[in-house]
Amino acid sequence: MTRALHAEWTKLRTVPGPLWLLLGAVAATVALSAGAASVVRCTSAGCGGDLTGVSLVGVRLGQAPVAVLAVLVITGEYGSGMIRTTLTAVPRRAAVLAAKAVILTGAVAVTGTVAVLGSLLAGRAILPGAGGDLTDGAVAGPVLHLVLIALLGLGIATAVRDSATGIGIVLGLLYVVPLLSLAVGDPHWQRVLRRIAPMSAGLGPPLSPWAGLGATAGWAAAALLAGGLLLCGRDA
Amino acid sequence: MSEFRVVSAPEIVVSGLRKRYGRKPALDGMSFTVRPGVVTGFVGPNGAGKSTTMRVILGLDAVDEGIALIGGRPYRSLRCPPRHVGSLLDAASPHPGRSGRGHLLWLAHAQGLSARRVDQVIELVGLAPVARRAAGGYSLGMRQRLGIAAAVLGDPPVVVLDEPFNGMDPDGIIWMRGFLRSLAAQGRAVLVSSHLMSELQDTAGHLVVAGRGRALADAGVAELIAGASRNRVALRTTATTNATRVLARAGASVTATGPGTLTVSGLPADRIVTLLGRSEVPFTEVSAHRATLEDVYLELTREAVEFRATTPAEVSR
Repeated sequence: MTRALHAEWTKLRTVPGPLWLLLGAVAATVALSAGAASVVRCTSAGCGGDLTGVSLVGVRLGQAPVAVLAVLVITGEYGSGMIRTTLTAVPRRAAVLAAKAVILTGAVAVTGTVAVLGSLLAGRAILPGAGGDLTDGAVAGPVLHLVLIALLGLGIATAVRDSATGIGIVLGLLYVVPLLSLAVGDPHWQRVLRRIAPMSAGLGPPLSPWAGLGATAGWAAAALLAGGLLLCGRDA
Repeated sequence: MSEFRVVSAPEIVVSGLRKRYGRKPALDGMSFTVRPGVVTGFVGPNGAGKSTTMRVILGLDAVDEGIALIGGRPYRSLRCPPRHVGSLLDAASPHPGRSGRGHLLWLAHAQGLSARRVDQVIELVGLAPVARRAAGGYSLGMRQRLGIAAAVLGDPPVVVLDEPFNGMDPDGIIWMRGFLRSLAAQGRAVLVSSHLMSELQDTAGHLVVAGRGRALADAGVAELIAGASRNRVALRTTATTNATRVLARAGASVTATGPGTLTVSGLPADRIVTLLGRSEVPFTEVSAHRATLEDVYLELTREAVEFRATTPAEVSR
Protein backbone atom coordinates (compact mmCIF):
# COMPACT_ATOMS: atom_id res chain seq x y z
CA MET A 1 0.00 0.00 0.00
CA THR A 2 2.91 2.37 0.78
CA ARG A 3 4.29 1.74 -2.70
CA ALA A 4 0.92 2.33 -4.32
CA LEU A 5 0.64 5.62 -2.41
CA HIS A 6 4.13 6.66 -3.43
CA ALA A 7 3.35 5.86 -7.07
CA GLU A 8 0.10 7.86 -7.04
CA TRP A 9 1.81 10.82 -5.41
CA THR A 10 4.54 10.73 -8.07
CA LYS A 11 1.87 10.60 -10.79
CA LEU A 12 0.11 13.66 -9.34
CA ARG A 13 3.25 15.78 -9.15
CA THR A 14 4.79 14.81 -12.51
CA VAL A 15 2.07 16.41 -14.66
CA PRO A 16 1.26 20.12 -14.61
CA GLY A 17 -2.56 19.74 -14.72
CA PRO A 18 -3.30 18.97 -11.04
CA LEU A 19 -1.29 21.90 -9.73
CA TRP A 20 -3.09 24.34 -12.04
CA LEU A 21 -6.50 22.96 -11.10
CA LEU A 22 -5.72 23.24 -7.40
CA LEU A 23 -4.41 26.79 -7.79
CA GLY A 24 -7.54 27.54 -9.82
CA ALA A 25 -9.70 26.22 -6.99
CA VAL A 26 -7.98 28.54 -4.49
CA ALA A 27 -8.25 31.54 -6.82
CA ALA A 28 -11.93 30.89 -7.63
CA THR A 29 -12.88 30.38 -3.98
CA VAL A 30 -11.12 33.47 -2.64
CA ALA A 31 -12.17 35.72 -5.53
CA LEU A 32 -15.87 34.86 -5.38
CA SER A 33 -15.91 35.06 -1.59
CA ALA A 34 -14.30 38.47 -1.68
CA GLY A 35 -16.79 39.57 -4.32
CA ALA A 36 -19.72 38.38 -2.22
CA ALA A 37 -18.38 40.08 0.87
CA SER A 38 -17.92 43.36 -0.96
CA VAL A 39 -21.61 43.60 -1.88
CA VAL A 40 -22.89 43.03 1.65
CA ARG A 41 -24.40 46.21 3.09
CA CYS A 42 -23.64 46.90 6.69
CA THR A 43 -25.78 49.27 8.68
CA SER A 44 -25.12 50.56 12.13
CA ALA A 45 -27.25 47.67 13.36
CA GLY A 46 -24.76 45.21 11.86
CA CYS A 47 -24.41 43.16 8.72
CA GLY A 48 -27.34 41.14 7.46
CA GLY A 49 -27.17 37.40 7.54
CA ASP A 50 -24.37 35.05 8.43
CA LEU A 51 -21.02 36.57 7.61
CA THR A 52 -19.15 33.28 7.67
CA GLY A 53 -21.64 32.00 5.11
CA VAL A 54 -21.08 35.05 2.91
CA SER A 55 -17.32 34.59 2.98
CA LEU A 56 -17.69 30.99 1.92
CA VAL A 57 -19.84 31.51 -1.16
CA GLY A 58 -16.64 30.97 -3.13
CA VAL A 59 -16.50 27.30 -2.15
CA ARG A 60 -19.50 26.77 -4.41
CA LEU A 61 -17.33 27.82 -7.34
CA GLY A 62 -14.03 26.41 -6.09
CA GLN A 63 -15.48 22.92 -5.88
CA ALA A 64 -15.72 22.77 -9.69
CA PRO A 65 -11.96 22.58 -10.42
CA VAL A 66 -11.61 20.19 -7.47
CA ALA A 67 -14.25 17.91 -8.98
CA VAL A 68 -12.62 18.11 -12.42
CA LEU A 69 -9.24 17.15 -10.92
CA ALA A 70 -10.81 14.22 -9.09
CA VAL A 71 -12.36 12.91 -12.31
CA LEU A 72 -9.17 13.34 -14.36
CA VAL A 73 -7.06 11.50 -11.77
CA ILE A 74 -8.50 8.25 -13.10
CA THR A 75 -10.17 8.99 -16.47
CA GLY A 76 -6.90 10.48 -17.73
CA GLU A 77 -5.46 6.98 -17.37
CA TYR A 78 -8.38 5.39 -19.17
CA GLY A 79 -8.05 7.91 -21.99
CA SER A 80 -4.43 7.01 -22.76
CA GLY A 81 -4.69 3.33 -21.81
CA MET A 82 -2.18 3.90 -18.99
CA ILE A 83 -4.66 2.33 -16.55
CA ARG A 84 -3.39 -1.02 -17.85
CA THR A 85 0.15 -0.09 -16.89
CA THR A 86 -1.13 0.95 -13.47
CA LEU A 87 -3.02 -2.29 -12.93
CA THR A 88 -0.09 -4.46 -14.01
CA ALA A 89 2.19 -2.54 -11.63
CA VAL A 90 -0.33 -2.78 -8.77
CA PRO A 91 -2.75 -5.63 -9.51
CA ARG A 92 -4.72 -5.17 -6.27
CA ARG A 93 -7.29 -2.86 -7.77
CA ALA A 94 -8.89 -1.84 -4.48
CA ALA A 95 -5.43 -0.68 -3.39
CA VAL A 96 -5.07 1.42 -6.55
CA LEU A 97 -8.39 3.18 -5.92
CA ALA A 98 -7.64 3.59 -2.21
CA ALA A 99 -4.23 5.09 -2.99
CA LYS A 100 -5.78 7.55 -5.44
CA ALA A 101 -8.42 8.48 -2.84
CA VAL A 102 -5.83 9.08 -0.10
CA ILE A 103 -3.55 11.22 -2.30
CA LEU A 104 -6.53 13.19 -3.58
CA THR A 105 -7.81 13.71 -0.04
CA GLY A 106 -4.44 15.04 1.06
CA ALA A 107 -4.03 17.39 -1.90
CA VAL A 108 -7.59 18.74 -1.66
CA ALA A 109 -7.43 19.11 2.13
CA VAL A 110 -4.30 21.25 1.92
CA THR A 111 -5.62 23.32 -1.00
CA GLY A 112 -9.07 23.60 0.57
CA THR A 113 -7.63 24.88 3.84
CA VAL A 114 -5.69 27.57 2.00
CA ALA A 115 -8.78 28.52 -0.02
CA VAL A 116 -11.18 28.65 2.92
CA LEU A 117 -8.78 30.54 5.21
CA GLY A 118 -8.13 32.94 2.35
CA SER A 119 -11.86 33.51 1.92
CA LEU A 120 -12.44 34.16 5.59
CA LEU A 121 -9.49 36.53 5.82
CA ALA A 122 -10.64 38.37 2.70
CA GLY A 123 -14.13 38.65 4.17
CA ARG A 124 -12.75 40.07 7.39
CA ALA A 125 -10.59 42.55 5.53
CA ILE A 126 -13.51 43.75 3.41
CA LEU A 127 -15.99 43.86 6.28
CA PRO A 128 -13.91 44.94 9.26
CA GLY A 129 -15.55 44.58 12.60
CA ALA A 130 -18.38 42.50 11.17
CA GLY A 131 -17.54 39.78 13.61
CA GLY A 132 -16.96 36.86 11.26
CA ASP A 133 -15.32 34.14 13.28
CA LEU A 134 -12.43 31.90 12.36
CA THR A 135 -13.58 28.98 14.44
CA ASP A 136 -12.50 25.44 13.64
CA GLY A 137 -15.98 24.62 12.39
CA ALA A 138 -16.02 27.50 9.94
CA VAL A 139 -12.85 26.17 8.29
CA ALA A 140 -13.18 22.42 8.73
CA GLY A 141 -16.73 22.19 7.38
CA PRO A 142 -16.07 23.67 3.93
CA VAL A 143 -12.71 21.88 3.64
CA LEU A 144 -14.38 18.59 4.43
CA HIS A 145 -17.05 19.43 1.86
CA LEU A 146 -14.37 19.92 -0.83
CA VAL A 147 -12.68 16.63 0.10
CA LEU A 148 -15.99 14.77 -0.10
CA ILE A 149 -16.79 16.33 -3.49
CA ALA A 150 -13.37 15.12 -4.72
CA LEU A 151 -14.06 11.58 -3.50
CA LEU A 152 -17.51 11.68 -5.11
CA GLY A 153 -15.90 12.70 -8.39
CA LEU A 154 -13.27 9.94 -8.13
CA GLY A 155 -15.91 7.29 -7.50
CA ILE A 156 -18.13 8.37 -10.38
CA ALA A 157 -15.15 8.68 -12.74
CA THR A 158 -13.95 5.17 -11.83
CA ALA A 159 -17.38 3.85 -12.75
CA VAL A 160 -17.75 5.68 -16.07
CA ARG A 161 -14.06 5.63 -17.21
CA ASP A 162 -14.46 8.66 -19.49
CA SER A 163 -13.36 12.24 -18.79
CA ALA A 164 -16.22 14.07 -20.53
CA THR A 165 -18.90 11.79 -19.10
CA GLY A 166 -17.40 11.91 -15.62
CA ILE A 167 -17.06 15.69 -15.53
CA GLY A 168 -20.58 16.06 -16.96
CA ILE A 169 -22.16 13.85 -14.32
CA VAL A 170 -20.29 15.38 -11.37
CA LEU A 171 -20.88 18.99 -12.40
CA GLY A 172 -24.49 18.07 -13.15
CA LEU A 173 -24.92 16.71 -9.64
CA LEU A 174 -23.27 19.80 -8.16
CA TYR A 175 -25.05 22.50 -10.13
CA VAL A 176 -28.03 21.13 -12.05
CA VAL A 177 -29.77 19.29 -9.23
CA PRO A 178 -29.96 22.45 -7.06
CA LEU A 179 -31.32 24.33 -10.09
CA LEU A 180 -33.93 21.63 -10.65
CA SER A 181 -35.10 22.10 -7.09
CA LEU A 182 -36.03 25.69 -8.02
CA ALA A 183 -38.19 24.42 -10.85
CA VAL A 184 -40.09 22.00 -8.67
CA GLY A 185 -43.36 23.53 -7.50
CA ASP A 186 -44.19 21.15 -4.70
CA PRO A 187 -42.45 22.43 -1.55
CA HIS A 188 -41.99 18.93 -0.14
CA TRP A 189 -40.06 17.68 -3.19
CA GLN A 190 -38.21 20.95 -3.40
CA ARG A 191 -36.96 20.39 0.12
CA VAL A 192 -36.06 16.76 -0.60
CA LEU A 193 -34.04 17.72 -3.68
CA ARG A 194 -32.18 20.47 -1.84
CA ARG A 195 -31.53 18.16 1.02
CA ILE A 196 -30.01 15.35 -1.08
CA ALA A 197 -28.12 17.38 -3.70
CA PRO A 198 -24.45 16.99 -2.81
CA MET A 199 -23.69 20.66 -3.42
CA SER A 200 -26.36 22.26 -1.30
CA ALA A 201 -26.39 19.53 1.34
CA GLY A 202 -22.82 20.17 2.41
CA LEU A 203 -23.06 23.95 2.36
CA GLY A 204 -25.78 25.08 4.66
CA PRO A 205 -29.57 25.12 4.87
CA PRO A 206 -31.96 23.36 4.89
CA LEU A 207 -29.78 20.86 6.72
CA SER A 208 -27.52 21.78 9.60
CA PRO A 209 -23.88 21.94 8.45
CA TRP A 210 -22.86 18.60 9.93
CA ALA A 211 -25.98 16.77 8.75
CA GLY A 212 -25.39 18.25 5.31
CA LEU A 213 -21.82 16.99 5.30
CA GLY A 214 -23.20 13.61 6.31
CA ALA A 215 -25.40 13.60 3.20
CA THR A 216 -22.44 14.53 1.00
CA ALA A 217 -20.36 11.81 2.66
CA GLY A 218 -23.12 9.35 1.82
CA TRP A 219 -22.90 10.40 -1.84
CA ALA A 220 -19.12 10.05 -1.85
CA ALA A 221 -19.16 6.65 -0.14
CA ALA A 222 -21.79 5.29 -2.53
CA ALA A 223 -19.86 6.55 -5.58
CA LEU A 224 -16.54 5.11 -4.36
CA LEU A 225 -18.15 1.79 -3.55
CA ALA A 226 -19.81 1.55 -6.96
CA GLY A 227 -16.61 2.60 -8.73
CA GLY A 228 -14.51 0.18 -6.68
CA LEU A 229 -16.81 -2.78 -7.35
CA LEU A 230 -16.83 -2.08 -11.09
CA LEU A 231 -13.04 -1.61 -11.16
CA CYS A 232 -12.48 -4.93 -9.40
CA GLY A 233 -15.04 -6.82 -11.42
CA ARG A 234 -14.39 -5.94 -15.03
CA ASP A 235 -11.59 -6.32 -17.57
CA ALA A 236 -9.08 -3.50 -17.62
CA MET B 1 15.81 -26.39 1.05
CA SER B 2 16.75 -23.01 -0.32
CA GLU B 3 20.36 -23.98 -1.03
CA PHE B 4 19.17 -26.58 -3.55
CA ARG B 5 16.96 -24.16 -5.39
CA VAL B 6 17.72 -24.00 -9.09
CA VAL B 7 18.36 -20.44 -10.14
CA SER B 8 16.48 -20.08 -13.40
CA ALA B 9 13.67 -18.02 -14.83
CA PRO B 10 10.15 -19.36 -14.44
CA GLU B 11 8.07 -20.52 -17.38
CA ILE B 12 4.83 -18.99 -18.58
CA VAL B 13 2.25 -21.72 -18.97
CA VAL B 14 -0.97 -20.84 -20.77
CA SER B 15 -3.51 -23.62 -20.76
CA GLY B 16 -6.92 -23.89 -22.30
CA LEU B 17 -7.91 -20.21 -22.24
CA ARG B 18 -11.45 -19.55 -23.39
CA LYS B 19 -13.14 -16.17 -23.47
CA ARG B 20 -16.14 -14.75 -25.26
CA TYR B 21 -17.06 -11.17 -26.03
CA GLY B 22 -20.80 -11.48 -26.45
CA ARG B 23 -21.25 -14.40 -28.85
CA LYS B 24 -17.88 -14.08 -30.54
CA PRO B 25 -15.14 -16.26 -29.03
CA ALA B 26 -11.93 -14.25 -28.56
CA LEU B 27 -9.99 -17.16 -27.08
CA ASP B 28 -10.89 -20.70 -27.98
CA GLY B 29 -8.59 -23.06 -26.11
CA MET B 30 -5.34 -21.07 -26.30
CA SER B 31 -2.47 -23.16 -24.86
CA PHE B 32 1.31 -22.81 -25.05
CA THR B 33 4.44 -22.61 -22.94
CA VAL B 34 7.12 -19.92 -22.86
CA ARG B 35 10.52 -21.23 -21.73
CA PRO B 36 13.45 -19.27 -20.36
CA GLY B 37 16.59 -18.60 -22.40
CA VAL B 38 14.90 -18.14 -25.74
CA VAL B 39 12.74 -15.51 -27.43
CA THR B 40 9.27 -16.92 -28.07
CA GLY B 41 7.53 -15.20 -30.95
CA PHE B 42 3.76 -14.93 -30.68
CA VAL B 43 2.39 -14.35 -34.15
CA GLY B 44 -0.91 -14.45 -35.93
CA PRO B 45 -3.25 -12.24 -37.91
CA ASN B 46 -5.06 -9.34 -36.26
CA GLY B 47 -7.90 -10.68 -34.15
CA ALA B 48 -6.19 -14.01 -33.49
CA GLY B 49 -6.26 -13.38 -29.73
CA LYS B 50 -2.64 -12.35 -29.12
CA SER B 51 -3.31 -9.18 -27.16
CA THR B 52 -6.16 -10.75 -25.21
CA THR B 53 -3.91 -13.66 -24.24
CA MET B 54 -1.22 -11.25 -23.04
CA ARG B 55 -3.74 -9.28 -21.01
CA VAL B 56 -4.92 -12.54 -19.44
CA ILE B 57 -1.31 -13.50 -18.58
CA LEU B 58 -0.92 -10.10 -16.89
CA GLY B 59 -4.12 -10.46 -14.87
CA LEU B 60 -5.92 -7.61 -16.64
CA ASP B 61 -8.66 -9.66 -18.30
CA ALA B 62 -10.61 -12.53 -16.81
CA VAL B 63 -11.28 -15.74 -18.75
CA ASP B 64 -14.32 -18.01 -18.85
CA GLU B 65 -12.11 -21.10 -18.71
CA GLY B 66 -8.44 -22.02 -18.44
CA ILE B 67 -5.52 -20.49 -16.59
CA ALA B 68 -2.27 -18.64 -17.22
CA LEU B 69 0.56 -19.19 -14.75
CA ILE B 70 4.00 -17.66 -14.28
CA GLY B 71 6.29 -20.04 -12.41
CA GLY B 72 3.18 -21.89 -11.29
CA ARG B 73 1.32 -18.84 -9.97
CA PRO B 74 -1.25 -16.48 -11.44
CA TYR B 75 0.15 -12.98 -12.10
CA ARG B 76 -2.03 -11.24 -9.55
CA SER B 77 -0.87 -13.50 -6.73
CA LEU B 78 2.81 -12.66 -7.30
CA ARG B 79 4.49 -10.48 -4.68
CA CYS B 80 5.27 -7.20 -6.44
CA PRO B 81 4.55 -8.59 -9.94
CA PRO B 82 6.61 -6.08 -11.99
CA ARG B 83 9.75 -7.46 -10.32
CA HIS B 84 8.83 -10.88 -11.74
CA VAL B 85 7.21 -10.05 -15.07
CA GLY B 86 8.04 -6.97 -17.13
CA SER B 87 5.42 -6.00 -19.65
CA LEU B 88 4.74 -3.70 -22.56
CA LEU B 89 1.15 -3.47 -23.76
CA ASP B 90 0.14 -2.32 -27.19
CA ALA B 91 -2.76 -0.10 -26.11
CA ALA B 92 -1.19 1.50 -23.03
CA SER B 93 0.45 4.85 -23.68
CA PRO B 94 2.02 7.06 -21.04
CA HIS B 95 0.21 10.28 -20.11
CA PRO B 96 1.02 12.77 -22.90
CA GLY B 97 1.80 15.56 -20.40
CA ARG B 98 4.23 13.54 -18.28
CA SER B 99 7.90 13.24 -19.18
CA GLY B 100 9.34 9.85 -20.01
CA ARG B 101 11.38 10.05 -16.84
CA GLY B 102 8.29 10.95 -14.79
CA HIS B 103 6.48 7.93 -16.21
CA LEU B 104 9.33 5.61 -15.24
CA LEU B 105 9.59 7.29 -11.86
CA TRP B 106 6.05 6.47 -10.74
CA LEU B 107 6.50 2.93 -12.04
CA ALA B 108 9.72 2.65 -10.04
CA HIS B 109 8.00 3.94 -6.90
CA ALA B 110 5.20 1.41 -7.40
CA GLN B 111 7.78 -1.36 -7.03
CA GLY B 112 9.97 0.22 -4.37
CA LEU B 113 12.81 1.21 -6.72
CA SER B 114 14.80 4.42 -6.68
CA ALA B 115 15.31 7.17 -9.24
CA ARG B 116 18.83 5.81 -9.86
CA ARG B 117 17.38 2.68 -11.44
CA VAL B 118 15.18 4.91 -13.61
CA ASP B 119 18.22 6.73 -14.99
CA GLN B 120 19.93 3.37 -15.64
CA VAL B 121 17.11 2.05 -17.83
CA ILE B 122 16.82 5.40 -19.64
CA GLU B 123 20.49 4.97 -20.64
CA LEU B 124 19.89 1.34 -21.50
CA VAL B 125 17.21 2.08 -24.12
CA GLY B 126 18.89 5.26 -25.39
CA LEU B 127 16.24 7.75 -24.32
CA ALA B 128 18.54 10.04 -22.30
CA PRO B 129 18.32 13.04 -24.68
CA VAL B 130 14.50 13.20 -24.51
CA ALA B 131 13.83 11.73 -21.06
CA ARG B 132 12.71 15.05 -19.55
CA ARG B 133 10.46 16.01 -22.44
CA ALA B 134 6.68 15.36 -22.37
CA ALA B 135 5.90 11.89 -23.71
CA GLY B 136 3.11 13.32 -25.87
CA GLY B 137 5.78 14.65 -28.22
CA TYR B 138 7.56 11.31 -28.60
CA SER B 139 7.59 9.44 -31.89
CA LEU B 140 6.09 5.96 -31.85
CA GLY B 141 9.60 4.51 -31.83
CA MET B 142 10.59 6.56 -28.78
CA ARG B 143 7.40 5.52 -27.03
CA GLN B 144 8.28 1.87 -27.69
CA ARG B 145 11.73 2.42 -26.18
CA LEU B 146 10.07 4.01 -23.15
CA GLY B 147 7.77 0.98 -22.91
CA ILE B 148 10.79 -1.34 -23.04
CA ALA B 149 12.50 0.70 -20.32
CA ALA B 150 9.36 0.34 -18.19
CA ALA B 151 9.28 -3.41 -18.81
CA VAL B 152 12.86 -4.03 -17.66
CA LEU B 153 12.77 -1.52 -14.78
CA GLY B 154 12.37 -4.20 -12.12
CA ASP B 155 14.99 -6.50 -13.75
CA PRO B 156 12.32 -9.20 -14.17
CA PRO B 157 13.16 -12.80 -15.16
CA VAL B 158 10.08 -12.90 -17.43
CA VAL B 159 9.27 -10.32 -20.10
CA VAL B 160 5.99 -10.03 -22.03
CA LEU B 161 5.92 -7.54 -24.91
CA ASP B 162 2.92 -6.83 -27.13
CA GLU B 163 3.94 -5.58 -30.60
CA PRO B 164 7.19 -3.88 -29.51
CA PHE B 165 8.25 -3.37 -33.15
CA ASN B 166 5.17 -1.27 -33.99
CA GLY B 167 6.16 2.09 -35.43
CA MET B 168 9.91 1.52 -35.13
CA ASP B 169 12.24 2.65 -37.89
CA PRO B 170 14.77 0.16 -39.37
CA ASP B 171 17.47 1.21 -36.89
CA GLY B 172 15.03 0.73 -34.05
CA ILE B 173 14.00 -2.71 -35.33
CA ILE B 174 17.62 -3.85 -35.46
CA TRP B 175 18.22 -2.46 -31.95
CA MET B 176 15.07 -4.15 -30.65
CA ARG B 177 16.09 -7.52 -32.12
CA GLY B 178 19.48 -7.34 -30.44
CA PHE B 179 17.91 -6.24 -27.17
CA LEU B 180 15.42 -9.13 -27.19
CA ARG B 181 18.17 -11.63 -27.99
CA SER B 182 20.29 -10.31 -25.13
CA LEU B 183 17.35 -10.57 -22.70
CA ALA B 184 16.95 -14.23 -23.66
CA ALA B 185 20.71 -14.84 -23.54
CA GLN B 186 20.66 -13.63 -19.92
CA GLY B 187 18.32 -16.56 -19.23
CA ARG B 188 15.03 -14.70 -19.19
CA ALA B 189 11.77 -16.00 -20.61
CA VAL B 190 10.74 -13.59 -23.37
CA LEU B 191 7.33 -13.56 -25.08
CA VAL B 192 7.02 -11.13 -28.00
CA SER B 193 3.92 -10.71 -30.14
CA SER B 194 3.99 -9.41 -33.68
CA HIS B 195 1.77 -9.53 -36.71
CA LEU B 196 4.78 -9.26 -39.03
CA MET B 197 6.88 -12.41 -39.21
CA SER B 198 9.87 -10.70 -40.76
CA GLU B 199 10.43 -8.71 -37.56
CA LEU B 200 11.07 -11.92 -35.65
CA GLN B 201 13.39 -13.49 -38.23
CA ASP B 202 16.74 -14.29 -36.58
CA THR B 203 15.32 -13.28 -33.19
CA ALA B 204 12.74 -15.84 -32.12
CA GLY B 205 13.96 -19.34 -31.31
CA HIS B 206 10.49 -20.59 -30.59
CA LEU B 207 7.22 -19.73 -32.24
CA VAL B 208 3.59 -19.78 -31.18
CA VAL B 209 1.31 -19.22 -34.17
CA ALA B 210 -2.15 -18.06 -33.14
CA GLY B 211 -5.28 -18.19 -35.25
CA ARG B 212 -8.86 -17.63 -34.24
CA GLY B 213 -8.25 -17.83 -30.52
CA ARG B 214 -6.01 -20.88 -30.33
CA ALA B 215 -2.41 -21.89 -30.92
CA LEU B 216 -2.06 -23.41 -34.40
CA ALA B 217 1.59 -24.26 -33.73
CA ASP B 218 3.87 -24.19 -30.70
CA ALA B 219 7.32 -25.34 -31.77
CA GLY B 220 10.97 -24.40 -32.30
CA VAL B 221 11.68 -22.19 -35.29
CA ALA B 222 14.21 -24.67 -36.78
CA GLU B 223 11.67 -27.47 -36.54
CA LEU B 224 8.92 -25.39 -38.13
CA ILE B 225 11.13 -24.30 -41.01
CA ALA B 226 12.31 -27.86 -41.63
CA GLY B 227 8.68 -29.00 -41.62
CA ALA B 228 7.65 -26.34 -44.08
CA SER B 229 10.67 -26.98 -46.37
CA ARG B 230 10.30 -30.76 -46.45
CA ASN B 231 9.95 -32.32 -49.92
CA ARG B 232 9.70 -28.95 -51.55
CA VAL B 233 11.71 -28.04 -54.61
CA ALA B 234 12.04 -24.64 -56.19
CA LEU B 235 12.05 -24.73 -59.98
CA ARG B 236 12.99 -21.95 -62.41
CA THR B 237 11.63 -22.34 -65.90
CA THR B 238 10.31 -20.23 -68.77
CA ALA B 239 7.78 -22.94 -69.68
CA THR B 240 5.74 -22.86 -66.48
CA THR B 241 2.58 -24.25 -68.07
CA ASN B 242 4.29 -27.28 -69.62
CA ALA B 243 6.30 -27.97 -66.48
CA THR B 244 3.19 -27.81 -64.32
CA ARG B 245 1.37 -30.26 -66.62
CA VAL B 246 4.23 -32.76 -66.70
CA LEU B 247 4.88 -32.69 -62.95
CA ALA B 248 1.20 -32.76 -62.00
CA ARG B 249 0.71 -35.84 -64.17
CA ALA B 250 3.49 -37.52 -62.15
CA GLY B 251 1.59 -36.80 -58.94
CA ALA B 252 3.30 -33.64 -57.69
CA SER B 253 1.46 -30.55 -56.54
CA VAL B 254 2.78 -27.42 -58.17
CA THR B 255 2.27 -23.80 -57.17
CA ALA B 256 3.48 -20.70 -58.97
CA THR B 257 5.48 -18.61 -56.48
CA GLY B 258 6.67 -15.88 -58.85
CA PRO B 259 7.26 -15.11 -62.55
CA GLY B 260 9.06 -18.17 -63.91
CA THR B 261 9.29 -19.85 -60.51
CA LEU B 262 7.37 -22.87 -59.32
CA THR B 263 7.37 -24.67 -56.00
CA VAL B 264 6.95 -28.39 -56.36
CA SER B 265 6.07 -30.75 -53.55
CA GLY B 266 5.61 -34.50 -53.60
CA LEU B 267 8.57 -35.33 -55.86
CA PRO B 268 12.31 -35.41 -55.10
CA ALA B 269 14.58 -33.07 -57.09
CA ASP B 270 16.32 -35.78 -59.16
CA ARG B 271 12.99 -37.21 -60.28
CA ILE B 272 11.86 -33.73 -61.34
CA VAL B 273 15.01 -33.28 -63.42
CA THR B 274 14.45 -36.65 -65.12
CA LEU B 275 10.78 -35.94 -65.86
CA LEU B 276 11.42 -32.48 -67.27
CA GLY B 277 14.34 -33.76 -69.39
CA ARG B 278 12.31 -36.59 -70.80
CA SER B 279 9.49 -34.21 -71.81
CA GLU B 280 11.99 -31.67 -73.16
CA VAL B 281 10.74 -28.89 -70.87
CA PRO B 282 13.48 -26.26 -70.47
CA PHE B 283 14.50 -25.16 -67.00
CA THR B 284 17.35 -23.13 -65.54
CA GLU B 285 17.44 -24.15 -61.89
CA VAL B 286 16.21 -26.86 -59.56
CA SER B 287 16.97 -26.41 -55.87
CA ALA B 288 15.75 -27.52 -52.50
CA HIS B 289 13.23 -24.98 -51.27
CA ARG B 290 14.28 -23.11 -48.09
CA ALA B 291 11.17 -21.99 -46.28
CA THR B 292 11.23 -18.68 -44.44
CA LEU B 293 9.37 -17.92 -41.25
CA GLU B 294 6.92 -16.07 -43.45
CA ASP B 295 6.18 -19.27 -45.40
CA VAL B 296 5.61 -21.19 -42.17
CA TYR B 297 3.29 -18.50 -40.94
CA LEU B 298 1.35 -18.23 -44.19
CA GLU B 299 0.95 -21.98 -44.48
CA LEU B 300 -0.33 -22.34 -40.91
CA THR B 301 -2.70 -19.42 -41.07
CA ARG B 302 -3.89 -20.28 -44.59
CA GLU B 303 -5.06 -23.63 -43.26
CA ALA B 304 -7.03 -21.79 -40.61
CA VAL B 305 -8.61 -19.56 -43.20
CA GLU B 306 -9.40 -22.46 -45.56
CA PHE B 307 -11.11 -24.26 -42.74
CA ARG B 308 -13.43 -21.32 -42.41
CA ALA B 309 -14.17 -21.06 -46.13
CA THR B 310 -14.32 -24.66 -47.32
CA THR B 311 -17.21 -24.42 -49.73
CA PRO B 312 -15.92 -21.93 -52.34
CA ALA B 313 -12.49 -23.59 -52.33
CA GLU B 314 -14.04 -27.02 -52.92
CA VAL B 315 -16.16 -25.75 -55.80
CA SER B 316 -13.24 -24.26 -57.70
CA ARG B 317 -11.04 -27.33 -57.30
